[in-house]
Amino acid sequence: MNKSEEIRSALQAEFSPEMLEVINQSENHRGHGGYSDGESHFLVQIRAAAFADMSRVNRHRAVHKALGADLVGRIHALALEISA
Amino acid sequence: MTDAKTQIEETVKANDVVLYMKGTKDMPQCGFSSRVAGVLNFMGVEFADVNVLADEGVRQGIKDYSDWPTIPQLYVKGEFVGGCDIITEMTLSGELDTLFTKENIAFNQEAADKIREANG
Repeated sequence: MNKSEEIRSALQAEFSPEMLEVINQSENHRGHGGYSDGESHFLVQIRAAAFADMSRVNRHRAVHKALGADLVGRIHALALEISA
Repeated sequence: MTDAKTQIEETVKANDVVLYMKGTKDMPQCGFSSRVAGVLNFMGVEFADVNVLADEGVRQGIKDYSDWPTIPQLYVKGEFVGGCDIITEMTLSGELDTLFTKENIAFNQEAADKIREANG
């Protein structure tokens, strides 16, 4: 499973989102210090009812937690657009 | 570890606005840090910058302190506000203005409006 699939499967399982896009933006960053193996930079767009009562910070924390420290640690840059 | 935590606590309490970032406000070394420092500079907010690349203890310590895995991290009056995505959203929504006003942090309202005009 590549990282895009890992992200998708973890978030799908945790939040049953109405909308989930995992966009690999790594190639935009080729040549930049954080670039590695074509799987370094991701944008995740997710919409799920579970986020409705959470603050912005807690929404992000919930996503980080669902992904797990190991996966988060292997991604150089993870941009999140979270809505409820 | 404890040293880093103590150091972080002292820093975020001694300064109204603190940005933990990669590089410095004058020479950011990461696009995300650069974006947040750029917003604060443009809004004319006085802030302390801490370069996590200069201290491995602080680099890990700040992630543990806020339970937040990434840099940059913005603190206002000792409270963690968010990273790059959140600060960007709050800038565009006007929530950052509201927060600064509530906490008596001086900023240039006209500059803040300009950011929103340019990104509206």
